[in-house]
Amino acid sequence: MLRVVGLSKRFGGVVAAREVNLEVRAGEILAVIGPNGAGKSTLLNLLSGLVRPDAGRIEFLGEDITHAPPEVRAWKGLGRAFQIVQPFHEMTVRENLMVGALYGKPGASLKTAQKVVEEVIELTGLSSKADTEAGELTLLEDKRLELARALCTQPRLLLLDEVMAGLRPAEAMEAVELVQRTRASGVTVLFIEHLMPVVRALADRVVVMDYGQVIAEGRYEEVAANAKVREAYLGRSA
Amino acid sequence: MILAGVLLLLALVLPGLPLGEWRAFLLDTAQFAFLISGLALAWDLLARTGQLSLAHGAFFGLGAYAAALSAPALGTVPALLVGGAVATLSSLLLGLATLRLQGMYFAIATLAFSEVMRTLVLKAQFTGGSIGLPVQPAFGGAYPLGGYYLAVAVLVICTLASLLLSKSRLHFAMAATRQGEAVARVLGVPVVRVKLVTFMISAFLAGLTGGVYAMKTLFLSPYDAFGLGRAVEALVIPIFGGLYTTTGPLLGGLIIVSLETWLRLRIGEGYLVVYGLVLVLTILFLPKGLMSLFARRKGARHA
Repeated sequence: MLRVVGLSKRFGGVVAAREVNLEVRAGEILAVIGPNGAGKSTLLNLLSGLVRPDAGRIEFLGEDITHAPPEVRAWKGLGRAFQIVQPFHEMTVRENLMVGALYGKPGASLKTAQKVVEEVIELTGLSSKADTEAGELTLLEDKRLELARALCTQPRLLLLDEVMAGLRPAEAMEAVELVQRTRASGVTVLFIEHLMPVVRALADRVVVMDYGQVIAEGRYEEVAANAKVREAYLGRSA
Repeated sequence: MILAGVLLLLALVLPGLPLGEWRAFLLDTAQFAFLISGLALAWDLLARTGQLSLAHGAFFGLGAYAAALSAPALGTVPALLVGGAVATLSSLLLGLATLRLQGMYFAIATLAFSEVMRTLVLKAQFTGGSIGLPVQPAFGGAYPLGGYYLAVAVLVICTLASLLLSKSRLHFAMAATRQGEAVARVLGVPVVRVKLVTFMISAFLAGLTGGVYAMKTLFLSPYDAFGLGRAVEALVIPIFGGLYTTTGPLLGGLIIVSLETWLRLRIGEGYLVVYGLVLVLTILFLPKGLMSLFARRKGARHA
């Protein structure tokens, strides 16, 4: 579904991505983990087109999208939820979702968009908050909105940037369930996460990054047993 | 919205009311107020995408000159459309060059554009240069109220455009672009195109307004038509009335122009002091403009 070949990006002297190779298979849930500053968020920015790579290729559904602007990637079916939730504060929840539903697929009419929005509101449990201004939501509701808005663009592949961060364990498990439901509806998911229980519960496969490089890849148990991964995490905190 | 309808109806019947000896003056002031409100409504459209334009005085001026110059050959209404078209074309070129800029940088670029346009009109031969340009009245002066009703028509057009846009698909794209450009793009909003289209609609309306203004004042000079004061008025009024709304700029324009005219009559040159004071107080106590007076009750419920 998504193939990344030799993707590199440096900011001044800092290498945020070094020859990253990555493949996301249709229908899977892939986790990208790594210590702080490993380049995970930069990877998502590169994938969604907010940051231009210095080198490398990104292919999505067999097409080269390396130089496509973010909106074109969205139209092709690449959705994204941000780590730091960025709702449109002066809009209600429903209006926020309308933006995704109207523009995520080119040419959606107000009517079809409204239908999509109502479905997503139902799916994400935002019914009681639909007419609340986004500025007045709690963190959990903000996170739901962030995810719901990305879903409204009807993505084939959804990129999630630490959508669980800051949630209490019970809330995180609720969010895990939501992601599972999303996959069940036919959406492939790539997510960045710090909470290992969440990674274990959700991920079919795990990719580990450190210093902008992919250092390990495989099933959760395999990766957790990997010496390089242990060093990256434990070695530095010890 | 009901208020907007009432105001427009009032504008339609105003010449029929018994206004006494002040009639001519009142109608003239009203006509001016309608045009400035129309310009403010046009400016507000672009503001909805988060861009602060100082070029609207120039679009107004371009529309005025283009309409004045083409009216003898084309007649009143086609000339007004030419005025709108010239403003639109200039906004397309300006927008292609500058709409990737954000906030302050875009504002400065539009300011520079205004100055360039004024200088061009000042130096050109066919515009009458610094001497100015006499303009034919609307419809060759055949109808005494022709200019007045053109101003009403332009105000209706600007109001409808403002209302319709806030009910359209574009409304969501405009608001999203203003509130978070990067997020909007990731959600599929083509922000540059959205800004450009809005800029062109906005400039067209400003140009149209300028054309009617030319046929009202009957004389154009670059200092008047391209004055920075007009560009400032175009942004002060929506801020005073309530940004991103239709009733805000409409009501704000009518109040500000009335106030300005009344103060000028009362205290002559000192009117700017009081005028400035009113604006400062409004911004201090009603940061969302006059419209927040209407939204108060809703706000109280949330608190």
